[in-house]
Amino acid sequence: MKKFLRWPLWIVGLLLLIHFEGVGQSTVITGRVVAASDNAPLPGVTVAVRGDNRGTVTDVDGKYSITAQPSDVLVFSFIGMETQEITVGNQSTVDVALAESSQSLQEIVVVGYGEQKKTNLTGAVSSVDTKVLESRPIADAARGLQGTTPGLNIVIPSGEIGSDPLIRIRGQFGSISGGASPLILLDNVEIPSLQLVNPDDIESISVLKDAASASIYGAKAAFGVILITTKKGAHTEGVKVTYSGNASFQNISKKMEMAGVDGMEYVVNAFERVGSTAVGALGWYVTRDSWERAVEWQEKWGDKVKATDPMVFGRDWYVDENNRKTGVRVYDPYEFMIREWAPTQTHNLAISGLSGKTNYNIGLGFLDQTSIVKPAKKDDFQRYNGSVQIGTEVNKWLKVNAGTLYSKRIKSFPFANPNFTTDPWLYVYRWGPTFPWGSEDGHPLRSPAFEMANANTATMQHNYASLNGGLLVTPVKNWTIKFDFTHANQDYLYELPGTRFTAKNTWATFASEKYDENGQRVYVDETGAVVAAGAPGAIPAYEFELIDYTGSPGAGPDHISRSASNAQWNTINLHTTYDLSLDDVHNFKFMAGMNRVGYRTAFHQATITALSDITNPQFRLATGTQTVDGNEYWDAQLGFFGRINYNFNEKYLLEANLRYDGTSKFPKHLWWRWFPSFSAGWRVSQEPWMDWASSTLDEFKIRASWGSIGDQSVPNSLYIPTMSGGFNSWLLGGSKLYQFGTPVAVSSSVTWQDITTLDIGADIRLFNGALGASFDWFRRDTENMIVPQEGIPPTYGTGAPRSNFGSLRTKGFEIQLDYSHSFDNGLQLNFVATFADAVTKITKYGTTKSIDSWYVGKTYGEIWGYETDRLYQAGDFVYEDGELVQVQSEDGFTVNQLADPNAATQGYLQSGNFYFGPGDVKFKDLNGDGVINPGNRLIDDHGDLKVIGNSTPRYEYGFRTGASFKGFDLNVFLQGVGKREIWGSGFLAIPGFNIYDGAMPQAIAGDFWREDRTDAFYPRPYDMGGANTGLNMQVQSRYLLNMAYLRFKNITLGYTIPGAVTERIDLNKVRFYVSLENFFTFDKLGGLPIDPEEVPGYSLFHESNYGLGRTGVGVPTFKSASVGVQLSF
Amino acid sequence: MKKVLILLFPVLLLTGCEDFLDRPPLTQMNDITYWTTENNVRVFANGFYSNYFVGYNNTWGVAYAPLRGYLFADDFASTGKQLSFETQAPESRQGTSESIDMLPTYAGPTWNFAWVRKANIFLDRIEKMKGTYLDEEAYNHWSAVARFFRGYEYSRLVSVFGDVPYFGHDVGDDELDELYKDRDDRTTVMNQVYEDFKYVLENMRLSDGDAQYLNRYIAAGFISRFMLFEGTWQKYHLGDNTHASKFLELAVEAGDLVIESGKWSFGSAFRTLFGSESLAGHPEVLMYRAYDAGLGVTHHIASYSNRNETQPTAANLDLARSFICADGQPYKLSGLPNADKEDIQTMAATRDSRFEATFWDEPQIPAATLLYATKFIDREGVTYQGTTPPPRYGSNTNTNDAPIMRLAEVVLNWIEAKAELATLGGPAVTQADLDASVNAIRSRPLDDVASDKGLVQTAPLDLGAIPDDPDRDGDVLPLLWEIRRERRMEFVFEHSRLLDIKRWKKLEYMDGDLNPDILRGPWVDFPAEKAAGRIDWLVEAKEGILKVEKENGTIVTYDGDNAADMVGYYIPENISNRDPVLDRMYLAPIGNSQISAYIDKGYTLTQTTGW
Repeated sequence: MKKFLRWPLWIVGLLLLIHFEGVGQSTVITGRVVAASDNAPLPGVTVAVRGDNRGTVTDVDGKYSITAQPSDVLVFSFIGMETQEITVGNQSTVDVALAESSQSLQEIVVVGYGEQKKTNLTGAVSSVDTKVLESRPIADAARGLQGTTPGLNIVIPSGEIGSDPLIRIRGQFGSISGGASPLILLDNVEIPSLQLVNPDDIESISVLKDAASASIYGAKAAFGVILITTKKGAHTEGVKVTYSGNASFQNISKKMEMAGVDGMEYVVNAFERVGSTAVGALGWYVTRDSWERAVEWQEKWGDKVKATDPMVFGRDWYVDENNRKTGVRVYDPYEFMIREWAPTQTHNLAISGLSGKTNYNIGLGFLDQTSIVKPAKKDDFQRYNGSVQIGTEVNKWLKVNAGTLYSKRIKSFPFANPNFTTDPWLYVYRWGPTFPWGSEDGHPLRSPAFEMANANTATMQHNYASLNGGLLVTPVKNWTIKFDFTHANQDYLYELPGTRFTAKNTWATFASEKYDENGQRVYVDETGAVVAAGAPGAIPAYEFELIDYTGSPGAGPDHISRSASNAQWNTINLHTTYDLSLDDVHNFKFMAGMNRVGYRTAFHQATITALSDITNPQFRLATGTQTVDGNEYWDAQLGFFGRINYNFNEKYLLEANLRYDGTSKFPKHLWWRWFPSFSAGWRVSQEPWMDWASSTLDEFKIRASWGSIGDQSVPNSLYIPTMSGGFNSWLLGGSKLYQFGTPVAVSSSVTWQDITTLDIGADIRLFNGALGASFDWFRRDTENMIVPQEGIPPTYGTGAPRSNFGSLRTKGFEIQLDYSHSFDNGLQLNFVATFADAVTKITKYGTTKSIDSWYVGKTYGEIWGYETDRLYQAGDFVYEDGELVQVQSEDGFTVNQLADPNAATQGYLQSGNFYFGPGDVKFKDLNGDGVINPGNRLIDDHGDLKVIGNSTPRYEYGFRTGASFKGFDLNVFLQGVGKREIWGSGFLAIPGFNIYDGAMPQAIAGDFWREDRTDAFYPRPYDMGGANTGLNMQVQSRYLLNMAYLRFKNITLGYTIPGAVTERIDLNKVRFYVSLENFFTFDKLGGLPIDPEEVPGYSLFHESNYGLGRTGVGVPTFKSASVGVQLSF
Repeated sequence: MKKVLILLFPVLLLTGCEDFLDRPPLTQMNDITYWTTENNVRVFANGFYSNYFVGYNNTWGVAYAPLRGYLFADDFASTGKQLSFETQAPESRQGTSESIDMLPTYAGPTWNFAWVRKANIFLDRIEKMKGTYLDEEAYNHWSAVARFFRGYEYSRLVSVFGDVPYFGHDVGDDELDELYKDRDDRTTVMNQVYEDFKYVLENMRLSDGDAQYLNRYIAAGFISRFMLFEGTWQKYHLGDNTHASKFLELAVEAGDLVIESGKWSFGSAFRTLFGSESLAGHPEVLMYRAYDAGLGVTHHIASYSNRNETQPTAANLDLARSFICADGQPYKLSGLPNADKEDIQTMAATRDSRFEATFWDEPQIPAATLLYATKFIDREGVTYQGTTPPPRYGSNTNTNDAPIMRLAEVVLNWIEAKAELATLGGPAVTQADLDASVNAIRSRPLDDVASDKGLVQTAPLDLGAIPDDPDRDGDVLPLLWEIRRERRMEFVFEHSRLLDIKRWKKLEYMDGDLNPDILRGPWVDFPAEKAAGRIDWLVEAKEGILKVEKENGTIVTYDGDNAADMVGYYIPENISNRDPVLDRMYLAPIGNSQISAYIDKGYTLTQTTGW
C-alpha cells in the first residue's frame, strides 16, 4: 500500500519542483534513489538541501540532479521511508537507498469496502506487514502470518504438508455450536482456503478484529475478517519483472525418541505387578525372558547389526514354548520413517506494468514440497498459481477491471489404509520396540514403512478458478460507485487407489515352521546361522509366511475410490462512496452498498473393489462390489449496508455502520436481522494543548468501538427434526438394509447467535515515527449462543436439543510495539513485538453446577484435576511379613494400610486389582476430609479437585528483529505461546497406556518408579488398558502436558548486490539469502515426542479422532533450511 | 444516459432476493414429512436390526457377539487372576447414542435410553398414521413391531440394572419431572413389558414378506427368552410366585406358537448352525444375520476359532464335566467305557456330540486351558493352523452367517418355563414335552466328521429315569438340573450363561473357592503330548510354572526332573480366583456422576442396592 502512494505523490513532488525552480548554484550533483528493500528506483523522492529551500524530486528512474556546495547536506525524504541526510563533500554522484520506515503516519489501511488513513482508523484493524511473507520457505500465507499480528491466532496442528493451519481471531472459541473461523476475503470475495493464494500475489493484508470494523461484512464476519488484496499492476509507466526462487530442505523438528529395551522393562514390570507372565499384540510377546535376552542382544549385537539389516531367526527373535513369537532385537522407527532433508522448491514470477491508462499484473507461481516421510513412493504437495489482473480507464468517469485467478493444488500421499483413524503413523507409535521392520530372507516384513512404500499413491487435487469483473464509476468528483462480480469455482478430486500387499506376515499370531527346499526342518544356532539338527544349541527355525493382504488392519479390500466435488460461489459487491468536506474541517465519507453470495456444492463418490491390476487401479479394471454416494448442499447470504465516517479536522473521528443481513440458514421468519456498530476516535496529539509534546509525540489516539453481528455459522438443519438416511450393516435379500434414523431432537425457536464486541484501543507514535505502540482491550459477548439445552438427563434418550440458551464472554487484549532506527553509518535496526491474550468464560447456561458442564463462570478450556503430592514410597505403608497389609478405608474401600494413620486414603480412585502402593501417585487432600475423591463433581462439592490448567493458548507472543547494513540484512522471528496445558491421550503421553501394544517414549521408559529409582518422575508401571485417565493417571497436575513453547520461526540472512553492480547487467535488484524456518523450538514436554502446537485428533484427513485422537501420533512437524534468490528488472 | 445504463445493470442482477434465501437442506428427510407410507415405516424399523439382531456383530465389534463378547461366566478360565466384577460404582455409566454398547460383566446395555426413545417415537408416529396412511392390519403389525423393540430394550435394561425408570411415551425436553423421575420398581416395568409382548403375540404379522423381516415367530422366540428370565428372577430373587407364573406362562405361550407351527425342526448338524456361509433355509433357524465380503459386511468371530488365534479366556473343566455322556448319563454315572477319563481326546469321544462340535479334540496351546473352542467356524476353517487362512477364516473378514434365533433356544426356554411352572402349581412336565425339546435337540443328525469319529446321538432324557447326578446342586430338582445342563451344552460361548446363573441366583458358581473346577483345565498327559509332538512343555522355561493337579487334589509343579509325573488336570499359568462374588453383583451400579447430576437439579436417582 505504500507503493500505492508513490504515484500521486510523485505529482506532488513535481509541483514542488516547479516551486523551487530557478534557485541554486555551485556544482551539479546527480544520483539515483532506490528502495533499500528491493533496489527498485523510487520516483518522486524529495531531495532538498538542508537549511535551504532548494529542492527537487526524482524522476521515474529514481534519478535526480541538484546543485549544491560540498558543505551542503542533502535530505532525501519520501513518505513511508526513513529520511536520509548525506553531506555532499567532494562527491558529484550521490546514490541513496532509502529504507522503509516500519510505521508511517500516512499509511493507508484497507478496511471493509474501502480504505482509511491509519491515523483516522477507529476500529481494531491490524494491517500486516507483508514483508513477513518474503524470503521464507513456507508453503502458504497462513503459515507465514503466524505470530505477526496480535490477536490473530494461527496453529499448525501437524506436519502434514498441504494442510491448512487453524486460524482464529481473538481467542480459540466463539461458540459451542458453529464455528469460530474468521472470514477470509480475497478482494472482497470469500475463499475456501488461504492455500490457494500465492503469497507473492498479495498486496496487503488487514485483520479486522472488532465488530465495528467487521460488521460491514455481515453475518459471516462474526469472528473477524482477514482481508487480502492482490496486486493490481504498476503505478508507474513501464514494465517491472520480479522473480524469486527458493530451495529448502526439511527435517523433523523434534527428536523422535521411542523406547527400546527400557520400554520392555516397563512392560515386564507392569504385567508382573498383576501376576501375568506375558503380554503382546499381534502375537509379538514380551516376557521377562525376552526382555533379558533383548538386553543381552544390545550388548552383543547392538553395534554389529545395522538398523536396516534383515531380521534373522535365532538371533533376533525366537518362538517360545507357548508358541509365542518373541523379539529380542529392538528397532527404531526413525530409521525407517524419517527422510532427512527432504527438498522443496518454490518459484514465483511477476510481471507488472502500466501502459498509458492500462495497468496490469501477471503472477505465476510454483511450489513443489516433499514430505519427510521416508518410505513413501510419493508424498508431496504441489501448487501452481496463475493470476492476471488488468484495469483501464475508459474515460474520465469510468474505469473497468477484470481478472482471473487460478490455483491448482495437488497433494499426493501413500494410500496405505482406507481409514485415517488408524493409519501407518499410528502404528509407528503403537507397536513396541521388538516389532520388526525391514526384511527377512529377502522378503519385506509387514510394517508401517513397508505399507507406506508399497501403497499406491492417493491424490487430493483442488482446482480453484475465479473470474472477476467490475467497474468504477465516478459520476462527479468525490463520488464513486463500484461494482464487482466474481464467479469462483472449485473442483476437488480425491482419488484413493488401494492395493494388495505382499509381505511376510509379522502380524500373524503365529510363526510358521521353516523348511529347506528338500522339505527338511531348518535348524539354526543363536547367531541365526543354519546348523545341523543335532548340533549343540540347535533350535528349530521359524519364519513368517509370505502373504497377500489388503490395507491394514486387514479390513480394506483392494479398491479404487474416487470422489469429485464441485463448489461454486457467485459474489456480487456493489457499493458507492461519497466524500464531502465542509470548510475543510468537517470531513464526511458516506458509503452504502450491498453484498450477495450464493453457494452451492455437490459431490459424488464411487468405489469398486477387487482390482484386476493392483499396479494400475482403474474402475474398468476391477471386478468387485460397487458403491456410490453423493450429497448436495447450498446456502445464501444477502446483505445491505451503509457507513458514515465523520471527522472534525482529523481530530475527532466518528464512524457508524449498519447492515441488514439475511441468511438461508434459518426458517423464513428469521431470515433477516439488523446489525449496527459504532466507533469513535480522538487524536489527542492534535489538540493545541498537546503542542508541548509535539517534538517527540507524533501521534496519540484513543479509540473505542461497539458493534453487534449475528452469527450464522451453524448447520442449516438446526430447527428441522432431520432423519439421516443410510445403509446399515444388516443384510437382507442380498443387499444392505436402508434406514432412516431417529429424528434429531430440535428446538423450534432457534435463532441467530449475537456476537457483540466492545473494543477500546490506543495508538501512540514517538520520536519522529521511530517508536510506536498500539494497544487494544476487547470484550466479545456471544449471546443467545446455540447450546444443548442444559440439564437434560440421559433418560431423554438423545443429546439435548440445541437452542439459544447460553452466553459466553471473551475478554482479552493485544499489544504491539515497534521501533526502528537508522545509524549514521547506514546500519538500520528494527524491532516488532506483539503480545495477545484472551479468556473466555461462560456467562449463561441454565442452573447447572456440574464442573463437567458449562456452569456459569466456567473458563473455557479449564481442566479439573487432582493436585499431585508426590509418589508414594515404601515407607508410606504398613507391612506384615514383608507384605502390604490391606484394610478397609473410612469411605469403605479396600486399601493398602498407610503408615500414617492420618494420611488421606485413595480407595475411591482404585478399580479392579489396582491398589495404591509404593511408586504410585499420592494426591493432595485439598479439602482435608481424609479421603481423596471428586465429591459430586459440582462447583460447590468437588472434593479434592481443582482447576489445574487450561487447554486454551494464552499469552501468545511474537518478536521480530531485523538489521541491515551495506547490503546485508538479517531477520529473526520468534513466536510462542506462554501458557497452555492439555491432558494427553494415548501411548505418547500416558505411561502404561496399553502395555499389550508396547510402544512408549524413552522419556517414560527411562524414568519410571522402581525400588532402585524412587526419585523417578513417572509412577510404578501399570497397564492402563487403553484408558487415558484413572488409577495413577487421574487428571492431575504432575502429568499435565505443558504445551507452552518458544519457536524460532525464521532466521534469514540476506545480501543484496549493490545497485551499481546490478545495473550493469540490467537488473534492478539481486538478493541472495539463506533462511532457517522453525529451526529451534523450546518446550516443556520433557522429551516426549510431541510437538507443542499439536492438536490431538486433528488432521487434514480426519478433523476429529485422527489416530484415534491420540496425542502426537501424526506426521511429525518439520523444520527447514533454505537458500533463495530474488531478482527484479 | 450511459451512466444510468451502466448503473442499472447491477441493479437488474439483484432482483428476486426473497427466493434467493430459500435454501432448505436438500438431502435429509425430516420427521414432519416422513411418516406418509408404510414403506417409510419399514425403512425406519430397519434401524433397529443391527442393534437387536447382532449375531456375530460387525468387523472387530465384540458386543453381544458369541465367543468374544460373552466370556464372563462360570464356563471360562484365563491365566493369572480371573476377571472380576467391578468393585465399586463407576464414575459415569451412561449413553445417549444409538450404539451397541455392552457391559461384559452384565451381558447387557449401559444406562442408555436412546433405544427406548426410538421405539417410543416409532410407536407415536405409527399411532398418528393410523387410518390415514396405515390400514388396520398394517397398523397392528407395525405397532407390534415398535412395542416389541421397546419390550426388548426394557428387558435388557432390567436384566442389568433391576429397577429402571419406565417411559411409555416419547418424553419431551420440557417434562423435567418425568425425565428426572427415580427408578421404577422392576416388577412394574416388566408388567409393562408383558403388556407389550402380549400385544406382539396377538398383532404382529406371521410373515412380513421376506422371512428375515421380523415376524411373530421370531418375536415369540425372544419373548420366551425374556419372560423365562423375568419369571425365574421373580421366583428365585423376589419369591414372587404370582408374577413368576405370569411371566413363565407367557414364555410357554410364546414357545407354543413356534413349536406348534411346525415350521422348524432339528434337521441339520450342530456345526452347520454356526459355520455355514449361508443359513438361508436352515431348518432350525428362525432368523439369522447374513455376512457378505462383497458388501463389506464381515465379522471376526470365526477367526477366533481358527486354531491360530489365541483364546486367553477358554472353557474350563467345570464346563467340560457338565457335558453329558452319549448314553444320557452324567460322567460319574455313565456306563460308557472311559467315561470317567477327562482328557480332551476321550471326552470328545464319549460325551454328547456337541462336545466334539464345540471344541478341538486335542489340547491346543493357544487356549488358556488347552481346551480350544472351534464352534463358530466350519470344518475346513480349522485346517489352517500355522498358515494364514483364506480371508473368510481370518482377520475380520469372516463371512459365515450368524443364527439370531434358533429353535433350540425356543424349546429350551419353553421346557424350562414349563418345569418351573410345575414347581409353582402348574401342570407337570410330560415325556411329550421332553421329546419336543431336550430329546428333539439330541436327535439332531451328526455330520460326517463326527460320524467318522464314531460319535452317536445322545440317548434321550426319560422322564421316568431322570439321572441323579452326584454333582447336582442340592437346591435344584433333578429334572431342572438336566434342563439347565442341556442349556449349558447347547449355548456354550453364546449369550445365555451369565444371565442364566444370575436369574437362578447362582452367581456363586463363579467363585473358584466354592467351585474349584472353574480354575482348572481338562486332564492332560504332558509326556504323552510331548511324545505326540503336540505340546512340549517339559522344558526349562516351564520349570516352576507348569502345574497339574492330581485326582486327589495334590498339585505337581514341573521342576525339570519330574516330567513323568506331569499328568493331571491342567492348571492354567499363575491362575488365581477372582475377587469375592457378592450379592450386589447381580445388578449393575449406575455412575456416580449420574447421581450427582440429579442432585445438581434437585432430584434423586437411587443407586443400585448394595453399591
